[in-house]
Amino acid sequence: MEILKMTDISKSFFGVPVLRHVNLDVEQGEVHALLGENGAGKSTLMNILAGVYTRDSGTVVFDGKPMEDTTINDAEKAGIAFVHQELNLFNDLKVYENIFLCNELTYKTGMLNRKEMIRLSQELFDKMEVDIDPTSAVSELETGKKQLLEIAKALHAQAKLLILDEPTTALNNEEIAHLFTIIRRLQKQGKSFIFISHKMNEIFTIADRYTVLRNGEYIHSGKIAETDPKEVTKLMVGSKFNEDDAYEPRDSGETVLELRGLSGDAFSDISFSVKRGEVVGFTGLVGSGVSEMFQTVFGALPIKGGELTVNGKVMQGNNIHLAMCQGVGMIAANRKENSIIPDFSLLENTYISEHTLVDSKQHISVKKETEKFLRLAGLLNVKANAPTDLITSLSGGNQQKVILARWLNTNADILLLDNPTQGIDVGAKGEIYKLIHQLAKEGKTILVNTLEIPELQQVADRCIVFYHGHLQTEIPRSEMTEENVMLWATNAINTVKGA
Amino acid sequence: MNETLNKKTGRNTLGSLVNNYSFVLIFLAIFATFLIINGSATTWSGVMNILRHSAVVGLLAFGMGLVIITGGIDLSVGSMLALIGGISVTVFNATNSIALTFLVAVGMGILLGLINGVFVGFANIPAFIVTLSTMLIYRSIAQYYLRTMGMSIYNMDGNLSHYGALYGFGQTKIATVPMVGIILILFTVIMVYVATLTKFGKKVYAVGSNERAAHLAGVNVKKTRVLVFVITGLLAGIATFLWMSMNGSVDPATIGKSYEMYAIAAVVIGGISMAGGRGKLLGVLFGAMSYTIIDKIIASLGVDALINDTIKGSILLLAVLIQSVIPVIRARLKKASVG
Repeated sequence: MEILKMTDISKSFFGVPVLRHVNLDVEQGEVHALLGENGAGKSTLMNILAGVYTRDSGTVVFDGKPMEDTTINDAEKAGIAFVHQELNLFNDLKVYENIFLCNELTYKTGMLNRKEMIRLSQELFDKMEVDIDPTSAVSELETGKKQLLEIAKALHAQAKLLILDEPTTALNNEEIAHLFTIIRRLQKQGKSFIFISHKMNEIFTIADRYTVLRNGEYIHSGKIAETDPKEVTKLMVGSKFNEDDAYEPRDSGETVLELRGLSGDAFSDISFSVKRGEVVGFTGLVGSGVSEMFQTVFGALPIKGGELTVNGKVMQGNNIHLAMCQGVGMIAANRKENSIIPDFSLLENTYISEHTLVDSKQHISVKKETEKFLRLAGLLNVKANAPTDLITSLSGGNQQKVILARWLNTNADILLLDNPTQGIDVGAKGEIYKLIHQLAKEGKTILVNTLEIPELQQVADRCIVFYHGHLQTEIPRSEMTEENVMLWATNAINTVKGA
Repeated sequence: MNETLNKKTGRNTLGSLVNNYSFVLIFLAIFATFLIINGSATTWSGVMNILRHSAVVGLLAFGMGLVIITGGIDLSVGSMLALIGGISVTVFNATNSIALTFLVAVGMGILLGLINGVFVGFANIPAFIVTLSTMLIYRSIAQYYLRTMGMSIYNMDGNLSHYGALYGFGQTKIATVPMVGIILILFTVIMVYVATLTKFGKKVYAVGSNERAAHLAGVNVKKTRVLVFVITGLLAGIATFLWMSMNGSVDPATIGKSYEMYAIAAVVIGGISMAGGRGKLLGVLFGAMSYTIIDKIIASLGVDALINDTIKGSILLLAVLIQSVIPVIRARLKKASVG
């Protein structure tokens, strides 16, 4: 039985069509993967379903009833729950307060019936087989638990269809597995899911069917069992798709970066060295310490022991300026919080770092800066209208290219890329990989931290695996299989040995 | 999707111009009111006096503008006038030296600003709390010191040989334009340049726009925070010197009282976001002048001056309302013209 049938949905913003005659059918009790690159129209379609936007044309039938002029409240009442990527939880409230927000149970006097709310919350968690204390503050929960709390909230609101928008972005593998177990259990109880994700392995693990959108148009629907990741990717990116492995071997030069027994926040006793022109991949589960190690090399976190040598100089203390002067640049994880200066144009976002290197010559020559920017933008293939446009007007991939331009502009020759393709669609990812190779060929040394193993396979000469702040192993390119890397990253290898 | 990136600048529609320069509209409206009310009594020197009387608040507001762009605030600027003024008058009376008086005023300003800046930048105490404290401290010291000397007001000694030159400086005109007004214009040019075309200026905006990203881009956030307070202090020092040359005396109980509020208002009317990261310093000049004209209008109407703040407060609300409503109206118009 169909729980949802969206037919012929069209929607324009300011005269620009973002959805053209899109269809989406979801069966009761299935996990339906909604696929497409950023900008394909997935969010718009889901926002129409959840009553955030109104559609220009088309019909929506949910649970046998047509939905007209749907508001957010109507959609919630009908049983549609949108679990957003950025979790909509109140961190300063307790778990049960979040669940009962705006629907608080009270005694006749108007006083809150905390006992009953806590009991019902506990009941809800028990039914989900989730271990969350209803009385703990949300701010104390791990991200994985927060995700589960969002789902619990939806179930409490009697949701029949849950929209999960990239629910695994902030989760580690264990938490993802747990989430999937819960999804499967709820599925058996008749709940339906729309699952939005960029990660192929997840889609092929959890989804029953899929629908692909591209450039606002409906492309294809089918059963997951009857397809494979390559075919789905092709449907998503269209003619742009290029199967070529971006990787080609290069020569490397002298040692430019050396860690000897380096310790810092969340990692200890790390030793390795990197040669000029190398691309070294780093990976590990969330909390592995790679990101902290990058930040320490960049001078954003303190060195707590050991020795760090950059371009022949032993680095002291923590100072971003010194690291930059030695030619280190870092693209931080979480672009929005750590890289983007939202009130700045593309041009300003690019030149800001170079301007911190030298304090003399305070005058900014807009003409010279623009010329430099245009050269870099051309090199990196930044797609934008004008250098004076705000950076927030660009897509994620182009924003990341501007941040890369920022560091190339400082002439950094050691680039630390912390999760550089986060929130970037498939096509733009490929471009970033190509740029990494191009830069390495020109003599830049590049360290990439990523949780995605296919990404490692695309770019890295070798891969260093972290686990709980320790260096597990170094894997040469020839042995960088998904299975091998995961064995080390999850520490399964030692468990096996120990047994 | 295939736009080529070239040198062209972003589109400047009439709507975005009105939005970005609403401070000019507000100023023109108030100025027109002034001309109408004054009618035939309007004189050139009366108009020029607007510049002269905007100078002190204007200079304070430029510093305030920079501080607010970093996401901070400086409530102590009015009290700085009292303390810097008290000390500078004392120095002048003791030395009869204009140059030394000027250097002490500027030096004191830098010191008082540095105190604010170090507490905000390095001790990480919210700017509101730090400058609320120093607002109380600075003025109190000026008043207490005066009391210990058995006086009620810091008067410059009119018998000193250089008094005439110092007081005269505040009254001089060059080609009918008051010297003090010229100095205000000069600082407008300097401050607008610093904010828009120097590396330091861009760092100020970067810190206010996204402090974490600015830090990770290499910007020394602490130093930038300290510097904006130091510059504010420096400008307060110059403003005090101008005040002395215009008035010849400093009453620590009243000098600069509520000026921190007028400076904040000038910054807001000028279109600078209180959240930091956005806005033009040029607007601050218009904001400051708008408030001076309101004083003039009330004086020429012969109304009780106590109504003054009612009007200033209302203008501030109106200015912010316009700034927040215009984008909404523009979006509506856009939607209507498309669909």
